[in-house]
Amino acid sequence: MDLASTLPTLLGAAWLLPLASFVIVWLFGPRLGHAGKHAGYVATGAILGSFVLALIALLSWTGKHGVFVEAHHDESHAGAPTAPPRSESSPSKSPVQFRLVAAAAEGEHADYAHYDHEGKAYYTGDWYTLAKFGKLQLTIGYYIDSLTVVMFCMVTLIASCIHFYAQGYMHDELHDVEDHEVTLSDGHHLHRRGRYHRFFQYLSLFCFSMLGVVLSGNMAMTFVFWELVGVCSYFLIGFYIERKSASTAANKAFIVNRVGDFGMLIGMMALWSSLGTFNFGDMAVEDAASGETRSQAGIFSQVRPGPSHELVVPEGMKQAAAATGSEDTERCGYWLLVIAGVGIFCGCVGKSAQFPLHTWLPDAMEGPTPVSALVHSATMVAAGVYLAGRFYPVFAPEALLVIAVIGCITLFIAATIAITAVDIKRVLAYSTVSQLGYMMFALGVGGWVAGMMHLVTHAFFKSLLFMCSGSVIHAVHTNDMTKMGGLRKKMPWTAYTMLVGCLAIAGAGIPFLVGFSGYYSKDAIIAQAIAYKEVNPLWGVTLFVAAGGAATTAFYMFRLWYMTFSGQPRDAHKYDHAHESPKVMYYPLVVLSVFAIAVAWPITIVGDAAEGSPLVHLLNQAVPDGVGSMEGAVRGTLAASVAIPSEHASHVDAIHSAATMLAFSTALGGFLLATLFYGWKYLDPAEVRNQFPQVYRFLWNKWWFDELYDALFVKPAHLLAAVAAWLDKNVLDRIIDGSAKVTLVASRYDDWFDRLFVDGLVNWFGRWTYGVGLAFRRLQTGSVRQYAMFVVLGTVVLFFLLSLFLGTAVGR
Amino acid sequence: MDSINVHSLLFLLFAAVACAFAVAVVVTSNVVRMAFYLVVSLGATAGLYFLAGADFVGAMQLMIYVGGTLVLLVFGVMLTAQGPFISMRTRAGEWIIAAVVGSSLLGLLLSTAFRVDAWKPPAEAREQTASVTSSRLGGGLLGYRVDRMEQAAAEQADPTLAKNSQGMSGYLMPFEVISVHLLVVLIAAAYLARPKKRVGPREA
Amino acid sequence: MNLLTEPIGISHYLAVGAVMFVAGAVCMATKRNALGILMGIELVLNGANVNFVAFSSEYLRSGPRASLGLDGQLIALFVIVLAAAEAAVALAIALNFYNNHATIDVDRADDLKG
Repeated sequence: MDLASTLPTLLGAAWLLPLASFVIVWLFGPRLGHAGKHAGYVATGAILGSFVLALIALLSWTGKHGVFVEAHHDESHAGAPTAPPRSESSPSKSPVQFRLVAAAAEGEHADYAHYDHEGKAYYTGDWYTLAKFGKLQLTIGYYIDSLTVVMFCMVTLIASCIHFYAQGYMHDELHDVEDHEVTLSDGHHLHRRGRYHRFFQYLSLFCFSMLGVVLSGNMAMTFVFWELVGVCSYFLIGFYIERKSASTAANKAFIVNRVGDFGMLIGMMALWSSLGTFNFGDMAVEDAASGETRSQAGIFSQVRPGPSHELVVPEGMKQAAAATGSEDTERCGYWLLVIAGVGIFCGCVGKSAQFPLHTWLPDAMEGPTPVSALVHSATMVAAGVYLAGRFYPVFAPEALLVIAVIGCITLFIAATIAITAVDIKRVLAYSTVSQLGYMMFALGVGGWVAGMMHLVTHAFFKSLLFMCSGSVIHAVHTNDMTKMGGLRKKMPWTAYTMLVGCLAIAGAGIPFLVGFSGYYSKDAIIAQAIAYKEVNPLWGVTLFVAAGGAATTAFYMFRLWYMTFSGQPRDAHKYDHAHESPKVMYYPLVVLSVFAIAVAWPITIVGDAAEGSPLVHLLNQAVPDGVGSMEGAVRGTLAASVAIPSEHASHVDAIHSAATMLAFSTALGGFLLATLFYGWKYLDPAEVRNQFPQVYRFLWNKWWFDELYDALFVKPAHLLAAVAAWLDKNVLDRIIDGSAKVTLVASRYDDWFDRLFVDGLVNWFGRWTYGVGLAFRRLQTGSVRQYAMFVVLGTVVLFFLLSLFLGTAVGR
Repeated sequence: MDSINVHSLLFLLFAAVACAFAVAVVVTSNVVRMAFYLVVSLGATAGLYFLAGADFVGAMQLMIYVGGTLVLLVFGVMLTAQGPFISMRTRAGEWIIAAVVGSSLLGLLLSTAFRVDAWKPPAEAREQTASVTSSRLGGGLLGYRVDRMEQAAAEQADPTLAKNSQGMSGYLMPFEVISVHLLVVLIAAAYLARPKKRVGPREA
Repeated sequence: MNLLTEPIGISHYLAVGAVMFVAGAVCMATKRNALGILMGIELVLNGANVNFVAFSSEYLRSGPRASLGLDGQLIALFVIVLAAAEAAVALAIALNFYNNHATIDVDRADDLKG
């Protein structure tokens, strides 16, 4: 099996299936079944097909490359039954689908090229070239490594579950809907047609865009799908477009994202203008002159050229620096590199709702809950983290420091806000922001695998949590946790799957033995943070923030669970009407809870002796070249104090067990606190609220971020607009009105002049001609006799005149 | 006192008749009388032609004009001369205008006629050399000009004079044209005067 | 100056022609009868003819030769022929007019008047 051709085909098909579904639903939506009911089947079938294809791709990947990669023990793979034939590893097997194997493979490592810790296997190529302008090449390409495959499986699996779930959740949309949250001007509630098919249409488009981001082989394509994802998010948040809150939230999400995308564009420009390529990986290029196929270095191998894969300032950036007349091209080029990295990260900040731009995500919960589960927790917001992971080779230590600090701030702010929130979906939204901050933090401190692993595990348990909350909302028709309680008895499936989710996100587990998925990923992050602290004493304080965040996470998650499912019902009416959701809704919950528990389990397949979970090993295969393989730490060039520790450093037993203990104890602390407050009611939360009213109000108002932005940006913008409007009205309009008046007066005079002189002249001439004609008409009497008279008279006059002028000449 | 010139006497006689009856044509309002006076006037004119030595033209005047055209006119008069149309009055204003204009034209013409020296009467009357045949005119029509013999001889002697030949220039072509013209006119007259098929009230 | 004893010149003929011409013209201007107008035309033509004949005459001139020679007589003949033709057509028109309008008054022939 030639992976170089099968993988792109499989994943490409998986990528295009949702597009097909989108087109079908878009074209025939309302006609598919009753009120578009079959649109749901179409979309679900498409995404399920994608999932199957992605699964096949995963299996073929593991079949070829195995699961377990232990960088330091090449011989451990000798006996792997799935070890691939070595001959296929040779590069340039096909001119288009060019497979690059680590260039550093030499000596006795030659045969083990795939597994050399200095290199990684990936497949890249172009399907279609959209346009070509000189150096600039816009292509639809792919870049497939194990991260791509894992992301594909994760996205399609979760999306499939959510499609099933949405068929139940969006059931109301099958018939006409009376939206009780929208009151029209006549006092009635809005009555509109159901939009079931449109929902699935957007879902399909979103899946297509998301998979496009994951699959994309170059920056340009990434950006396109990045924006497409944003557009889908906009559509889906604004699904209840008639609600003002929903449309405002959609606008907010879109506009805030634009701010981040601006930075991303700067990063893209910096990279492209200096490196001359959009491609991530090395591409096979047909040399027009010689006809030979040669390798064109992609972004990654330009930034980190082999064999050492150390971060260097690429030649292109040095030239760009030299073009500005800089003395120290090395340093200047490095600055460019940092700027490019931070710019790209800006895009991730917007999409992943990181600290300065995090305000849009909680508002985005106005969308239907399946959307929140799919788009705003599991996949789209994770796309930011994914992109940060994808561009990881480009990030200089200084850029990574920015990422770490931003992530740390985000996780802390969001976690604290989540403590006081009472809207069930908003708690989860802030939890999402917080967890995304964790991932960024992990990437920033050098834990690429930890961050990516948390991305995957978080996707599972967060989508699970959201779908559970959706199930609850579906049952009690409110988002307010203060009106819930005791629902465990009414909806056991939802309650216990949600408990699984809470345990997973809190990172519950038996130390050193087994745990939920979050246990492993959070452990890895904390471990990396400890390692980071060891080389960076100054910036190591972030570790404590992260640990505090972990405790807070456990606290607010169990607070949520207790408030919703345990104790006495606070609203008897709502409780009485609550019911377990239909099977189509809670079956996906069960599926997802299984994954939430077990996705990171260190299961040993086919007797391989390697430690760790298959997920970690799969991700290890995708670790960017030169990341995490160095002994010791990588230090920044501009700020030497910043160092990024190797990820292997965190695998040291001392660090790892410390991290496990730290994570476990913080999570346990948070859990106990929540139980004290909400489970056993031993402590009264209201009492605490009254004790620290300022803190409470601070948190309740979400750190005043919205107000701050309102004061900083919205108000000035309004003020500016008002000033502009005033200027328009009082100055420009006056000027224009004045000129209009002047014009009017001038035209009046002109009109008068025209009428009197121009028209007058013409009219006078016409009248004169008419009058003369009338006069001459009288000559035309029609009387023969008068004509004869005229002839005679004419003759006489002629003679008279002749004699007068010729005078006597005639006579003589 | 010279003896009375018979030629002048006859001229005065004919001229008086022609002029008097021409004025009579104008003055009378009865159309039948007008026709009669016209006949007399034209006949007297024919006499004037004879006196001028244009025998053939005078003969033609009598034959075609008096004998043909005027008979035709008399026929027309008789066909249309019914009650009110015999005598139609014209308003006095028109008479006055016509008189003023006509007299001014007459004065103009007469003063012109008597002002040119070349048109004055010769010192003595010429001998009337009769050439009563019409052969001169016939030859003239064909281009054989008896009255231009010297000129033709001069042109023959000196070809440069023949540029605008005045010698032998005839009227054969106009003669042919006018004969065809006559034919056309006769057909047209017959066409115009033929009785119409009335789509009159009888059928309607 | 005695008209009876002196020879006749072209001027005399021209005077006769002028009288006839003016008589014809006034006749055309004053007669309401179509035939009267026709007669006026005949008079005008005759007046012109008199002039032609006078100019072609060899006897009326003081100079050696007639100014027009035979040309004057020939043109007079043509005029006579044309007058005959004109009279024929004019009479036909007059009769037609009379048939159609039951009148011979030219003042009534104003169908084409604007």
